[in-house]
Amino acid sequence: MGEALPIHHSFFCARYPLVLLFFLEEEANNMKQNLASSVIFIFLLFLNTECLNEQSPPGKPEILKCRSPEMETFTCWWKPGSDGGLPTNYTLFYSKEGKEQSYECPDYKTAGPSSCYFDKKHTNLWKYYNISIKATNKMGSNISNPHCVVLTSIVQPDSPVNLSLEVTQAAGIFYLWAKWSPPPLVDVRSGWVILHYELRIKSEEKEDWETIFVGQQAQYRGFKLLPGLNYIIQVRCMLNHGEWSEWSSGSYIQIPNGQPPGRPELLRCRSPEKETFTCWWKPGSDGGLPTNYTLFYRKEGDKSTNECPDYRTAGPSSCYFDKKHTSLWTTYTITVKATNKMGSNISEPQYVDVTYIVQPDPPVNLSLEVKKQVDGKPYLLLKWYPPPLADVKSGWLTLEYRLRLKPEEGEEWETIFVGHQTQYKLFSLNPGKKYIAQVHCKPDHGKWSEWSAENYIQIPSDIELKDVIVWISVAVLSVICLIIVWTIVLKGYNMVACILPPVPGPKIKGLDTHLLETGKSEELLSALGCQDFPPTSDCEDLLVEFLEVDDSEDQQLMPSHEKGKNMKSSHKETDRDSGRGSCDSSFLLSEKSSEPRVPPSAFQTPNLSEIPENNLRKSNFEIQTIDRKGKIPNISTGGVKLSTWPGAQLPNNQAPKWSYHNTADICKIALDTVNVKVSSVLVGTEETQQIQHSKPIETISEEKLDKKGEMKSLHSKVHQDTIQFLSNEKSPFLSAKLMDYVEIHKVNQAGTRAVLPKQKENHGKTENCTVPGTSKEYAKVSRVVDNSILVIIPVSSVQTTPMFQDPLEESVHNLQQSQTEKNMSYCFTAPSEHKIDSGGIDYLDPTSFMCSFN
Amino acid sequence: MHTIMSKGASLKGVLLVVLLESNMFLPKTAVTSLPVCPSGSTGCQVSLGDLFDRAVKLSHYIHSLSTEMFNEFDERYAQGRGFITKAINGCHTSSLTTPEDKEQAQQIHHEDLLNLVLGVLRSWNDPLLHLVSEVKSIKEAPDTILWKAVKIEEQNKDLLEGMEKIVGQVHPGEIENEVYSRWSGLPSLQMADEDSRLFAFYNLLHCLRRDSHKIDNYLKLLKCRLIHDSNC
Repeated sequence: MGEALPIHHSFFCARYPLVLLFFLEEEANNMKQNLASSVIFIFLLFLNTECLNEQSPPGKPEILKCRSPEMETFTCWWKPGSDGGLPTNYTLFYSKEGKEQSYECPDYKTAGPSSCYFDKKHTNLWKYYNISIKATNKMGSNISNPHCVVLTSIVQPDSPVNLSLEVTQAAGIFYLWAKWSPPPLVDVRSGWVILHYELRIKSEEKEDWETIFVGQQAQYRGFKLLPGLNYIIQVRCMLNHGEWSEWSSGSYIQIPNGQPPGRPELLRCRSPEKETFTCWWKPGSDGGLPTNYTLFYRKEGDKSTNECPDYRTAGPSSCYFDKKHTSLWTTYTITVKATNKMGSNISEPQYVDVTYIVQPDPPVNLSLEVKKQVDGKPYLLLKWYPPPLADVKSGWLTLEYRLRLKPEEGEEWETIFVGHQTQYKLFSLNPGKKYIAQVHCKPDHGKWSEWSAENYIQIPSDIELKDVIVWISVAVLSVICLIIVWTIVLKGYNMVACILPPVPGPKIKGLDTHLLETGKSEELLSALGCQDFPPTSDCEDLLVEFLEVDDSEDQQLMPSHEKGKNMKSSHKETDRDSGRGSCDSSFLLSEKSSEPRVPPSAFQTPNLSEIPENNLRKSNFEIQTIDRKGKIPNISTGGVKLSTWPGAQLPNNQAPKWSYHNTADICKIALDTVNVKVSSVLVGTEETQQIQHSKPIETISEEKLDKKGEMKSLHSKVHQDTIQFLSNEKSPFLSAKLMDYVEIHKVNQAGTRAVLPKQKENHGKTENCTVPGTSKEYAKVSRVVDNSILVIIPVSSVQTTPMFQDPLEESVHNLQQSQTEKNMSYCFTAPSEHKIDSGGIDYLDPTSFMCSFN
Repeated sequence: MHTIMSKGASLKGVLLVVLLESNMFLPKTAVTSLPVCPSGSTGCQVSLGDLFDRAVKLSHYIHSLSTEMFNEFDERYAQGRGFITKAINGCHTSSLTTPEDKEQAQQIHHEDLLNLVLGVLRSWNDPLLHLVSEVKSIKEAPDTILWKAVKIEEQNKDLLEGMEKIVGQVHPGEIENEVYSRWSGLPSLQMADEDSRLFAFYNLLHCLRRDSHKIDNYLKLLKCRLIHDSNC
């Protein structure tokens, strides 16, 4: 260790080897071994540091530069040399041109370390300064080389400040407009110094600067900028041909991708109520940039130009002038200015007088209503209200109205000027159409408003439709009726013809035989003669009887009655003899009917003698009934209407129907047929009767629609009557046919008035039945009367015959002997025996009536 | 009456009853148009309502005419000359302070408003007379313009007369001094320079249109206020 240290010493500290060594030896000897080593180490460290500080005289300092920023003061900076490891003082000495005396620096602090600031006092602009620096420390001193300074040559200003940038635009090209301020220290204003500026610019992505010498102005404009680029700009300045200052800090500017706005256009101004108004403009192109629009106006008489008071109320691109800002009879000069980053543009001025821009809102609450005039014709009442904003009441605004209407599918409007009213009546309407109506209004001097919203109304066509429906239904019904009647005539004719013949046969037999035998046939005829209208029916009855005579009892009757002959030969022939005339001929045309007559067997029944009596009764009865025209209820004694006709035969029954109706028309019809009937009586064809019967029905149905009700009731009555008749006194032969008639009547009641043809099978049956029926005339009489309708159920001949035979025979006898008594008795007996279901009321007891009438 | 009758005629299929009714209205309407004889007055007068009806009709007509005349003139002579920009502040009646909006018009007392109307009407007597004579000097002046000028001049006189009657009824006895605004525009109508002369005409017609509207508007307001109690 001891050895090594000196080596170390000598190596590092060549100047003090002996001293160190000596010192170290002494220490080592005096101290203990342990302590000595540590102390020595510390000393070594100490020595070592001493060695590094290099204690020596300072190195030579160097004057770096002197600079005057504004030619009023200046500052010099130096660079210290080595300090020789010791604290070193630096002193600046200067001497001025022409003077030996040198001075020390007046101010070391102001300009920072290693600098000397010469304030204005110590600055002489026109003289050289000889400046040197002396460094001094313990070990010695050192002086720099002298530095010769002339103030004018050391001038370098600070950088310009407050660089601001703008972009101007001309003809779509952007130009830079940069402004800055001179460095604050420099007194430019006094003109003491002159500053020159330089500007450099580059776009951010480029490396190279473009430098522009600006001159003395503190602004620059004109550099062309490209849109979409970001530029950085710096400036520097130079004072009186001195040095350039540093570049200022950079300013940035973003050139937007866009253009200045296009020219806006003031579209129109409108006042809805002559109290406020609104102007709208159309913006020009915005140049791709956010653009502001400003509206300026100047009122006539005002010198100042004002900005729009309210941009919001009337929506975008509009300016609303409220009441305060609205004057009438004053011209407004209005312009719109559009502004964006790239520039601005002003519209053409518009001259507006609120007086002439009044256009109200459309009227409101247009209501349409269809009303009826006194005569029931509809008219359209249109009502509306003036627009709510318009002050019509005070007279400030006077409105006129105009309506327009068109059918929904129509193309052309019909326009109606209404004037000042707020309602209108429209009379010329097409019913059933849907109309669209609108209304608009106009101030006395102004523009028409928009049309109000479309209003629809359906003009009802119920009235006419009803008519049409009624007429159509009437037509349809009548056609149906015609068809039905026609079919009846065609089809039913045959049927009835087939059905009827057997009925009259037996009666006629009785009549004929009796009368003919007695030779009172003529009397009978006269008695039954058609004296009145109702008699026509009698005639018919007679006809039937006679017909029967002709048909059924050819053999028997023929000899007795002249007419019988005719009948035999042919119906047609009969016409000639009896003089039945043309009337009959029509009926006679159908010859078919003649054939299916009552089978001869039926006619040959032994009851013939009785029948005449019945016929007589009939005739009497008929006469009575005729006398009691219109007194149907009265006739129907005992409360049973139907019972009034017991004595009548089937054919007779039909005739009475008409007699009952007794209406003039019917009578006429009947009259028309009287001749026929009369003749038909002679002819004795059943067909004629039926036809006659059917005819009146037709006529009634056609001609007496109004009396339908009556007619129907009458029909029903009649039919019922006939049924009753059938049931009552129907000769046995008829019994079978009763069924037929019943069915017919049912049909009638159904309202169709069609006589359903009974199948011929029935016919055959009836014929068959008649044979047994003849013996049981009364037994087969109707059984049941339902309500007013008599339903006759054919009692099986087999069953009934035994039942009825006895009473029938008795009755026959009785009748022959004394009609009244026996009838009476029969009246009482028959019901019980027959066990009629229909209580007493509807029971048709021929005898009972007989009794009453006889 | 006529309206009723014509309506009645125009309605197809209207019942006789309606016609009869309309006939029944005849005497009634006739009655309403009869002059009213207020007690204490020396002679019978036409009712104030009727006077206003006539006045309003007249003023309406005058304004329509003046509007048509102005438009015609504007179309024919003023195109592209920028007269409108010069015509601002150029009316000789602008010295008469008139209400400029509804609020003002409603606040002013009706007598004052009536007098204002009178004043404006009087102010136009003179210029209208000269207008008629000078219109003839316009090159190729269409007859329609001349005719309208004549018509307006006549109607304006009539209206003034009617208004004086109305004022006489509204506040009888007290007849305002003849306040009106003097017109000194005759020389400008006779200027040699055509452009200037046409502008003078333009301006006059422009002012006539404006003032006739003013009068019409005021009269309608007054009518509703005085006759219908502001409930037209």
